[in-house]
Amino acid sequence: MATVTNWIDHLTASEVAGQVYPMVGSEMWWVLAGIIFWILWTVSTATGEAEEHEKLARKKHGSNDYKSNIAEW
Amino acid sequence: MDNELGALTTIFTEFYYWITVVLMFLIHVGFCMYEVGASRYKHHQHTLMKNTLLIPLVTVTWFFFGWWIYWAFPTGPGIAPSIMTESTGLILGGGFGANELANPTNALMAVNLGDHIMGVFWAAFLLFSWTAASIVSGAVIERITTFAFGILAIAIGSVFWSIDAAWGWHFDGWMLKILGYHDAYASGVIHAICGGFALGILAVLGPRIGKFSSSGEPRNIGPRNPWLVCIGLFLIYTGFWGFYAACNIPIFNLGPEYGMEGVTYFTATNIYVTPTTLSGITMNFLLSLAGGLLAGYWISKGDPFWTYSGGLAGIIAASAGNDLYHPMQSLIIAGVGTVIAYKLHYWVEREFKIDDAVGAVAVHGYAGVVGLIICGFVLWGYPSSGYGVGSMWVGTDYAPINPLGMIIGAFIMFGVLGFLPGWILAKILHSAGKLRIPRDVELAGLDYNIMEQARKDERAVASSNR
Repeated sequence: MATVTNWIDHLTASEVAGQVYPMVGSEMWWVLAGIIFWILWTVSTATGEAEEHEKLARKKHGSNDYKSNIAEW
Repeated sequence: MDNELGALTTIFTEFYYWITVVLMFLIHVGFCMYEVGASRYKHHQHTLMKNTLLIPLVTVTWFFFGWWIYWAFPTGPGIAPSIMTESTGLILGGGFGANELANPTNALMAVNLGDHIMGVFWAAFLLFSWTAASIVSGAVIERITTFAFGILAIAIGSVFWSIDAAWGWHFDGWMLKILGYHDAYASGVIHAICGGFALGILAVLGPRIGKFSSSGEPRNIGPRNPWLVCIGLFLIYTGFWGFYAACNIPIFNLGPEYGMEGVTYFTATNIYVTPTTLSGITMNFLLSLAGGLLAGYWISKGDPFWTYSGGLAGIIAASAGNDLYHPMQSLIIAGVGTVIAYKLHYWVEREFKIDDAVGAVAVHGYAGVVGLIICGFVLWGYPSSGYGVGSMWVGTDYAPINPLGMIIGAFIMFGVLGFLPGWILAKILHSAGKLRIPRDVELAGLDYNIMEQARKDERAVASSNR
């Protein structure tokens, strides 16, 4: 798992490897995981927003109704 | 890094860009304050969240593909050959920043002991991307869905501005070679494109309910909190220092870079790797701010909103040539750009019923376009690059800066890469029913449910005695 286990060994090697993050070589999988996370987030929040708007629109509030909801704390 | 001087230069450059990123963060703080101040009470929280969410959305997509696009597209592709690969195709390999290194799976796109620059340079460009999306955000407040804005923010922040930067804000960009395009501090590559993109969206999105009377006369809406707007704009000015600094390479030896044998010449350069000084651009930044503020105050008859916006419009108008202008030229260009932007804002609003809630199209779009055109005249004949001088339209060398090239460049920025994609994407989102919030939600206020709950909580707490 660890790319570096001893800094002295690492920095005195004949060629110092620049990559020090864990699991070198698995970058593609991490990027794919990131893309999946981004897409799922987008789908989930878009659905939530549409539902929230639909619910609020059904209540047919007037443009000044919010004034009775102004909290004063 | 095995010698002290080389290490010092590298670490200085790394730290320099890191500081610019921190400073540029203030642009975003300013935009958030500005937008919330300009929105009405019942939309505050959603307005804030919409602007805030562009930070993660543009960041992840800039990592996935935005940075890659910047390094892949300088040739068009197919328009002018790269000086690195000598091909007109996409640039897919090469030295620092060339594309194999800028893809998200590359070893340099992470902590890497062999490289100190990629991450901070990536981040500096990312902060420009946030700015791009944020410019658009203000124009569309109170009626766009967060989903639609997210898509549009990614489009401008990680795709279209990245393409325009590759074309016109890159030492190898085809617009420098063919047109003699010059835009040192991004009048066009950030501001004109984002103004155009916002205008394209607004043309489809439509005005806020009540903005125009039944006879079509525009009405003033807000800002609800002018002081928050003013502090927000002050913070944007502050962040602009970082923006200007980030557009430079702080220390570079131009002798070997230009192939001048035996010549050593260390200097700061702009993004095109032509020499300038941080000292000189600091004067120009301040004089263009001054020109914009003076003109904004004068033309708006002392309106604070337009005086502050004028300061921003002034900087934007002078930015294209602020690496070379005399400070008094910056002052005058800023003043002219501000007056034209102000006049155009109200003319477009009246004639086309465009509701630009914060004047973003004017301050960024019109001032940016005016700045590019003026730059073409004032810097007429200067080389657009240090790598060579040629003539217009040829493409194998670099055309000098000239008015026609800059006018075409302004059209590409505002129209081709700005307005058109904004309009098309907004049309697609509109036809899918995803662009605009429902009319009843707009009337009630996007925050209605949150406010209602807060009021209930308040009553419950107030009536409690234990």
